[in-house]
Amino acid sequence: MLNPPEASPAGRTAVTALLIVAALILQVSVANRLPLPGGVQPDLVLLAVVALALVAGSMTGMVTGFLAGLAADIIPPADHTLGRYALVYCLIGYLCGVASTEMDRQSAVPFFAVAAGALAGTVLYAGTGMMLGDPRAEWATVSSMVPLQVLYTVLASPFVVWAVLRATRRYERGERSRGDGLSVPVARYRAMSGRGGGL
Amino acid sequence: MKDTRRTRVVLGALLVVALAMITIDHRGGDDSPLRGLRGIGATVFGPVERASASVVRPVTDTFETIGDAPGQRRRADRLERENQELRERLRGARIDEDKAAQLQRLLGTAGMGGYKILAGQVISAGQGFEDTVTIDVGSRSGVKRDMTVLSAEGLVGRVTRVGPATATVLLATDQTSSIGSRLEGSKEIGIVQGGGRRGLGGQSETPLRFQLLDAAAPIHVGQRIVTLGSQGQRPFVPGVPIGVVERIERSTGGLTRTAYVRPFVRFTSLDVVAVVVAPPKKNPRDAVLPPKPKPPATPSASPSARPSQSPRGDDPSPRPSGSRSPSTEPNAGD
Repeated sequence: MLNPPEASPAGRTAVTALLIVAALILQVSVANRLPLPGGVQPDLVLLAVVALALVAGSMTGMVTGFLAGLAADIIPPADHTLGRYALVYCLIGYLCGVASTEMDRQSAVPFFAVAAGALAGTVLYAGTGMMLGDPRAEWATVSSMVPLQVLYTVLASPFVVWAVLRATRRYERGERSRGDGLSVPVARYRAMSGRGGGL
Repeated sequence: MKDTRRTRVVLGALLVVALAMITIDHRGGDDSPLRGLRGIGATVFGPVERASASVVRPVTDTFETIGDAPGQRRRADRLERENQELRERLRGARIDEDKAAQLQRLLGTAGMGGYKILAGQVISAGQGFEDTVTIDVGSRSGVKRDMTVLSAEGLVGRVTRVGPATATVLLATDQTSSIGSRLEGSKEIGIVQGGGRRGLGGQSETPLRFQLLDAAAPIHVGQRIVTLGSQGQRPFVPGVPIGVVERIERSTGGLTRTAYVRPFVRFTSLDVVAVVVAPPKKNPRDAVLPPKPKPPATPSASPSARPSQSPRGDDPSPRPSGSRSPSTEPNAGD
C-alpha cells in the first residue's frame, strides 16, 4: 500500500521530484562550497532519499534513490564514473524503505535509521570508488573523510528530514482519503524532527 | 509487508542498470558512450545552477566569512574597514564592487601574461571526493575542453567538461590533477599533483605536491612554481603562477624529490575566475609572478630567483577595463 500507485501518484511524484531537485541544487551550490573543517560536506541528497524512503516505503525509496543518484551523477560539476551514486542511493533507498516497516513501533529509530543510512551510503560510495580504482578514493583519503562526512550528514539530517516531512505532509493533507499506516510514522518523524531540529 | 516480489524484481533491475552504467562509463573513459547523459545533465542543471547561484551567493559568502575568521583576523579587519568605506560610498553595490575589483586584478594578471581570457564565476562545487567546480560560462561563450582556468592570484585548474552555459573545472588540488610545471628562475621542471579536498584536509596549507624530475636539481623553500605549458598550449598555458614551495621532503631514495607547495589561489573561496581562451603568443616565463614579497633565504643559489624581468620587457600591458573578454597582445619583441 505504500507503493506509488496510490490515490494520486502524479502529485506525489511531483513533490518527490521537486524535493530531490531542491536537494541536489542545495548540495552543489551551497553545501559543497562550505569551507567546513576537514574539507568534507554533508550529503543532503542522501538524506532526502533516506527520508523519502522512510516515509514512502521501499519501492518509492529505491526508484527515487536511483533517479536521484543518476541526477547526482550527471549534474555539473560531477566528475566520477556515471552510475555510482545511482547504485548507492538505490540500495540505500531500498534498505531504508524496508526498515521503515520496523520503525513504527519505536520512536527513537527514525534518527538512528537516518544515521545508519548516511553511514552506509558514504561507505558504499567510497567502496565503489575503491573497487573501480579511483585515485581519489585511496584508503588514506577515505579513512579520514568518511567519519567526518557521516558526522556532518547526521548533523544536517534533522533539517532535511524536517523539510521532507513538511513537503510530503502538505501534499498528503489534500490527498488524505485513506487513513492508513502512513500517518503514524509520519507523525512520529515529525515529532522527532521537531525535537531534533530544536537542539 | 512491502518487500514483495515485485519490489525485489524492480530493485534487481535498477541495480543491474546502475552496474551496467558504471561498467560502460568506466571502460569508456573520456569517450564513454554515456557522455550524452552528462551533456543532458549540463543542459538541464546548468541553467538551474546559474539561477540558484545568484540566490544563494550571499549565504555562501556569509559562511565563507565565518569559516575564514580565525586565521584571517587581521586581514579581515583591514578588509572590513575598506568595506565600510566602500559601503558608505557605494551603498547597495557592494557585491558588484567586489566583483569589479577581482576582475580588475584578473585583467592585470592576464594582461601581464598576454592571455586572452573570458571571465566567469564559480556557481557550484563537486561532491564527495572530487575537487571540481562549475563556472557560469560554457560553449556558447567559446569555452572548450582542456582550457586553462586561472584567477587573479594564479592557476585554478582546467576545463574538463563543457555544457551550453556552464563548464566543469578540475581544480589543481584534485587528486587526479597533475600539471607540468617549472621552478622559478632555475628552469627545473617537475609535476604538480593535487592532494585533494581543496586544501582543507590534513595538509591544509600545502594541498599540492611538486615532484622534481631531476632529483639532484636545487630547490629551496620559498621558490615559486609556474606552469610549464602543455603541448599545443592545452590544457595548460605556460607561465601561470601556481604556488610557493613550503617544505621539501628529504628524499627517501626515490627517483624524484617531493616538495609541498602552498598555492597562490585559495581554493576554498574561489569566486571570479578566468578561462584562457587563447594562449599567449610567447611564453611569459616568470613575468606573471607577483613581485617577490621580501626575499627570504632563497636567492643566493639560483642566479635569477627574483621575478626575472624577461628579456622581452613585458611591461604590464594597458588594462582594457570593463570589456568582457579582454585581450592584450604580448609585446611582439622579436
